[in-house]
Amino acid sequence: MIRVSMILLLLVLAAASAPAWARADAGTCFSCHDRAAFTGRVVHRPVAGGRCGVCHNPHVARFKGLLRQRQDTLCYSCHRQQKRLFARGVVHQPVADGRCTGCHTPHAGSRDLLRKDLASACFGCHKDLARKYRYTHQPYARGECGSCHRPHQADNLELLVRNGDRLCLTCHAGEDLAAGHGGFPVPAAGCLSCHNPHGSSRAALVRDELHPPYRKGCSGCHRPGGLTMARCLECHPDVQKQMLTTHSHLTRQDSNSCLNCHSPHAGDTGALLKGPVRLLCVSCHLRTLNGYRKSRFKHPDIQDCSSCHEPHGSSHLAMLKGDGIKVCVRCHEDQGKFTHPVGPGVLDRQTGQEVTCVSCHNPMGTQYSYQLVRDGKKALCVVCHRAY
Amino acid sequence: MKNRCSVQYGLLLALALSLALAGQAWSRSASGWQWSLVLKQDKVSDAMRMPTALFIDGKQGHYYVVDSGRNRLLSFDRQGRLLHIFNAGKGLKTPYDMVRTDSGDIWVVEKGKNSLSRIDLKARRITTATLRYRGALVYPDRLEAADLLYVLDKASGRIIAYDPSSLKARTAFTCPDCASGFVDFRIHSGRLWALDRQDRQICRFRLDGTLEKTLPLDGRLNFPVSLAIGPSGSLYVLDRHSRDIVVYDQAGRFRYRFLDRGISRGQLYYPVEIRFDPWGGLCVVDEGNARVEIFRR
Repeated sequence: MIRVSMILLLLVLAAASAPAWARADAGTCFSCHDRAAFTGRVVHRPVAGGRCGVCHNPHVARFKGLLRQRQDTLCYSCHRQQKRLFARGVVHQPVADGRCTGCHTPHAGSRDLLRKDLASACFGCHKDLARKYRYTHQPYARGECGSCHRPHQADNLELLVRNGDRLCLTCHAGEDLAAGHGGFPVPAAGCLSCHNPHGSSRAALVRDELHPPYRKGCSGCHRPGGLTMARCLECHPDVQKQMLTTHSHLTRQDSNSCLNCHSPHAGDTGALLKGPVRLLCVSCHLRTLNGYRKSRFKHPDIQDCSSCHEPHGSSHLAMLKGDGIKVCVRCHEDQGKFTHPVGPGVLDRQTGQEVTCVSCHNPMGTQYSYQLVRDGKKALCVVCHRAY
Repeated sequence: MKNRCSVQYGLLLALALSLALAGQAWSRSASGWQWSLVLKQDKVSDAMRMPTALFIDGKQGHYYVVDSGRNRLLSFDRQGRLLHIFNAGKGLKTPYDMVRTDSGDIWVVEKGKNSLSRIDLKARRITTATLRYRGALVYPDRLEAADLLYVLDKASGRIIAYDPSSLKARTAFTCPDCASGFVDFRIHSGRLWALDRQDRQICRFRLDGTLEKTLPLDGRLNFPVSLAIGPSGSLYVLDRHSRDIVVYDQAGRFRYRFLDRGISRGQLYYPVEIRFDPWGGLCVVDEGNARVEIFRR
């Protein structure tokens, strides 16, 4: 009985002696920090309640800004539903990285606690996107990125709120659509294969580059026998050669493999791709991208997969443009001249294969610095140098 | 009394911890597969380069490996000893898969020629054939032989059965709702099993082309490239990017996965095909490590 009483007494004393910052209002904090910096159209609830100690430790912390925990851990400690939701489907990179404050201010800001308006937040990272075109899609011109894209997570690539044509048809439906596509023998479909959803120098947002046969009319390709891959290869024999390799991208059930990636009518560049290269690749290889994103150390600036990979076909591993040396030394010239012995004559005794850059590095990401496939202090070396 | 309670709690805690640890290790240890043999060129300077397929001649007890990067075929005995190296007088161009029929002919998919080539060993003659199906050019990829020659068309993702004597198409196996078609298939117990990578499912057909069943596989698969059906009917799926093998029961329920990435013995780098041999071995063709690893229970 005495023991129980002692425990209760200790608990009461512990509660009474809790640090001042944990129970006091924010008055103490604002004696140094300008209160005006914590006001805005929308104020984060803990700030409005003066509970600075929910996120900050006033004395010492392991995280920048005296945060008690990593910022996303802190955010999700209250926003639990979001944590579950943001783990599904296609996730926006800052969300996947746990950088909530990339777009949101934790104290006070505009609607949804955004640092700026939504468009400014988007263009802050997406700097390669033109703000204006000769013909600009109206929602894009108004900075309404959220009309088509979700900011955190979506079930569709490019964080689109709906997939493919369904998204376009929410606004563009009815007679106008039919009238705009007069002369087309089939109902309009695959909108983005011809139209750029942001803008274009052509009316009706038709992408800038037209396929030369399409410029002349339809009959160049639409002949009896259907629009088969063989028809494409009649004019592109060089691509045919790339298909006759160990691994190729010939994959499409009952259809034309070329149309997986290329538009037969119009594109933003001469290659008439249906979208940015990385977007096309991740439409099938999403897990590869997710693996890359989750890796601690990875090759920076992987925007265009075709910098290293041959999109049509290759007889090299991973459909690389060359062997595991040639592809790398195009950029890493110094390493091409001075490195651990690699190349012809330098053979891994376990496999008999040439030692190349990718024997030790994996540009798609690893958990070790320099994208090494194992710990470079020892584990990597002793795979071959066993005597050490 | 107090001490007894403590001992009981301690035992319970130890039991719980053991169960948790055992659960983690279960998926690997449950496999029971042990490395047994490797098929590779002993001479390092003449090692294979990007082998892509294995054919097993159960009657003769030989393994045949398609050495795609060096344009040749290698045969090994059951102990893994190299028997012959055959390049058809340097006539092969990017061979990818092969079968040997009862007549003794070797059929090779040559990607470099986009052909299904027949090698008549007795007559020392190679005959190349460009395949078509309903007028469309076929891009042969994977190959199996039974009474007919079964060819996976890389371009359409469908499997087409050809008469070996006339090379006329007899039957086609098409996935009704696949985004990209099949990437590998096996003929087992009078059924054709086909792997659909994009939708992560296995389709089972009767040999007349009728689809019998579709088995959706769970989300564990990263980049499935090959399948094999085990002696007990379990489905083995090779995951190229995860560098392991995922095993499902006949209903498509996950059982376990095993193997991992590396270049050491028993590890995988860029695996491309799996097959069972008639002697209980599970053979993995590893393009990246340029060898065939054989595992047994």
